[in-house]
Amino acid sequence: MTLIEPRKHGDASDGSLGRHVARLDGRRKITGAATYALEQPVENLVHAVLVQSTIASGRVVSVDKAAAESSPGVLMVLTPDNVFNMMVASDWNGNRVDKVPYLPLPAEVNYNGQAVAAVIAETFEQAREAARLIKVQYEETPATTTIAEAGTGKVTGPMTVEWGDAEAAFEAADITIEAEYRTPREYHVPIEPHGLIASWQDDQLTIWEPSQWTHGMARTYAEWFEIPFEHVRIISPFIGGGFGSKGGAYFYGAVAALAARELGRPVKLAVTRSQGFTAYGGRASTRQTLKLGASADGVLQAVIHRGANETSTYAEFHESTGAATPIMYAVNNFSSQQSLIKVNTVTPGALRAPGKNPSAYGIECAIDELSYAVGIDPLEIRLRNYADHDYQSGKPWSTRKLREALMTGAERFGWSKRSAAPRSMRDGRTLIGWGIGCGTFPNLTNSSEAMIRILSDGSVEVESAGIDMGQGTYTIVAQTAADALGVGVEQVDVKLGDSLSAGAPVAGGSMLAGSITGAVHKAAQAAREELIGLALNEQNSPFATSGANTLVIENGRIKTSREDGPSMSIGELMAMLGRESLEVKRNTLPEGTTPEEKQKAWTHMAKVRGPTAGDFSIHSWGAHFIEVRVDEDFGTVRVSRIVSAFDCGRLYNPKLAESQLRGGIIMGIGQALLEEGLVDPRNGRVVNNNLGDYLVPTNADVPLIEILSVGEPDFEASVLGGKGVGEVGIVGVAPAIANAVFHATGKRVRDLPITLEKLL
Amino acid sequence: MTQTIPLTLDINGTPHALAVEPRVTLLDALREQLHLTGTKKGCDQGQCGACTVLVDGRRVLSCLTLAVQAEGCEIATIEGIAGENGELHPVQAAFLEHDAFQCGYCTPGQILSAVACIREGHAGSDTEIREYMSGNLCRCGAYNTIVDAVRQAAEAAR
Repeated sequence: MTLIEPRKHGDASDGSLGRHVARLDGRRKITGAATYALEQPVENLVHAVLVQSTIASGRVVSVDKAAAESSPGVLMVLTPDNVFNMMVASDWNGNRVDKVPYLPLPAEVNYNGQAVAAVIAETFEQAREAARLIKVQYEETPATTTIAEAGTGKVTGPMTVEWGDAEAAFEAADITIEAEYRTPREYHVPIEPHGLIASWQDDQLTIWEPSQWTHGMARTYAEWFEIPFEHVRIISPFIGGGFGSKGGAYFYGAVAALAARELGRPVKLAVTRSQGFTAYGGRASTRQTLKLGASADGVLQAVIHRGANETSTYAEFHESTGAATPIMYAVNNFSSQQSLIKVNTVTPGALRAPGKNPSAYGIECAIDELSYAVGIDPLEIRLRNYADHDYQSGKPWSTRKLREALMTGAERFGWSKRSAAPRSMRDGRTLIGWGIGCGTFPNLTNSSEAMIRILSDGSVEVESAGIDMGQGTYTIVAQTAADALGVGVEQVDVKLGDSLSAGAPVAGGSMLAGSITGAVHKAAQAAREELIGLALNEQNSPFATSGANTLVIENGRIKTSREDGPSMSIGELMAMLGRESLEVKRNTLPEGTTPEEKQKAWTHMAKVRGPTAGDFSIHSWGAHFIEVRVDEDFGTVRVSRIVSAFDCGRLYNPKLAESQLRGGIIMGIGQALLEEGLVDPRNGRVVNNNLGDYLVPTNADVPLIEILSVGEPDFEASVLGGKGVGEVGIVGVAPAIANAVFHATGKRVRDLPITLEKLL
Repeated sequence: MTQTIPLTLDINGTPHALAVEPRVTLLDALREQLHLTGTKKGCDQGQCGACTVLVDGRRVLSCLTLAVQAEGCEIATIEGIAGENGELHPVQAAFLEHDAFQCGYCTPGQILSAVACIREGHAGSDTEIREYMSGNLCRCGAYNTIVDAVRQAAEAAR
């Protein structure tokens, strides 16, 4: 069911943007013609297979590689003994420690599943067999394998958020609740596993690798090998899902590129599904305590939040459980702290709505608990504490249609028919529960660049290094260019995912769409002006003598505004001009940006603007209404109905936005009911490191999800009025389900996932 | 073990001669040797369904099938299900129309599974479609529109 209607704004934006245009790249994906990274036909290819550690902490003492090296087809075995001349690359913000060697296969072992060797052979089967023959001797040291045994950790001071006097207000409050909420390790598991093909031609490195950020990854490879940025080319036209996991170059990329250089042959390295659970980090396990104080009528007086997440023993990653807490509700007394707990794991990473997701799980469950303590409806308590501005920054919202999301969602869901008491709704032996969870994600912005090329036949090409991993970048870029130029979407071809192309920021933090459409719009408008100028000024042009001082382009035809004036197609104009092509490149960087700053704008994150960088506080918002059905005897939970309403500003393509929002919600179902990385406390091994044991939602786990859009264009958020879509969908789903389970059963499960044994 | 076995595979109605080690899976033979990369490797252990192909009309996980097992069988992959003039198979057309995918990586497996699901007579209701399409994981979460697409294609086939 499509509930999002196209919006009309009565201006030039009323072209294809805002319409339900089918995916531009769809045909390639449904015919098998879309080629992903490991599918590139590369001559003379050899295959690399990784060997991972079986201990959680210690040192590789020796690697017996004799059997592997004499195994058929084996060309090379890499171990910690191999030292290559590589340097540590800079971090996301551009900080770099100079002249520190980079060891992709270090002898020091920090987690079970860390790569300790790699075998390269003529065929995949030969490399896999030889990898099995590697014998590693370790010197093992004591490890902390789970967050449960790791203590309370250390507070990260700069993440503390405080205003008012939260402790005093909490003590003075009529009604208080206090609860601890826990989330386990979660994994991205995109269906396309990670991996790459690396190939050198002299000192030029070509990498075919799924990438959410071609510029950032090219910069990393260039720094590792100390070669110029332009000497690395990341090619990533299709990405089989990323969800945050494909934004950076990882050690195995270095291993493949090294091997390719040493062997003088292209190397394909496929990270196996199971290796993917430790080749890069998933979402950190979190815990947070929330203390809410309210007046007798349910008006919040104090919020006290103490959160923590696991990180590795060798790097710090914050999964900020206080990210959404300060901005969801109106409260005059607030305190939040975040701690880090070191365990022997691969460093966790960004997974769909990092921070906001577990944060909303905490506050949205806590507010639900408070509603029962006060004795008012969960919808009512959210409206009663509605934040009319951002209490954290003190700034006004740019747009915040969360009230509309709540009201529209409640109406569509039929919330008013809910019976308040837990366990009061049932269908035979099935308990029924309804729950609400709200979500948010900040509007992050960065600049972009775009190249527009008008070809002799009047068709249009748009180029950007930005990527499409399923969000719909190809399509919305074509729509944007088509509208600004005055041509049909079908006339526009889009080329993405090449680091040598026009600059773009990471496809992460929901920031790419707003950024790339701004640059494409600007470049296409400039191309349109140039076409019109050429048409007016060319000697033989019929427009030169038409008396018109400007022209219009509509449906691919250039003409005067008078109906009886001359007109020609863009292709005819190009023929008249004798031009093979016309190229226009524009960016949205500030005037006067130096070439060095321009380079950094897309290869690092330092220039990303946060949601309160300007005069407003800018965020996407959502409200989920979810029904669960719980088997009274067995405790099995099924999600049976979902209505979710969002304010994501203007939707460039509601058909694709709806798909993306649903995808986030479905990942939220997994988080609430299924997904949990299980670690063997004896050795730190992720024991369910496969898709049969790490459960993600299947088709049968997912009901019809109705998506409503209540947003309006927000031009503080982006050039064309959209706010982020990709992340906000998941935020608030897990608490909505947890709250529904409480309503159904009267049991408050405060650690995810809500599995049947916790309900029995 | 580098001994190879000569083999002919009938793929999408065309015989393909190749020489493979006996341990080579049908999936790797398709992707690495024949460069038919429309069939995807998602887990290589029979858990995700991305490598689904049709063998003698039945849906089969090509990662759990040795290439040598498929000799003498009719193998259908995503590259072969459209019409000869490029006309999309009704399931493909329905997937495009309903936006039944995002990243596209599970899509060939979903489409082949859907073709078989309809042929098996397991597309009688939305509940049945969900159940019989649950061997194909989609991490982007296109399940609602996959059901829409399969329902439409099944109705058209009746």
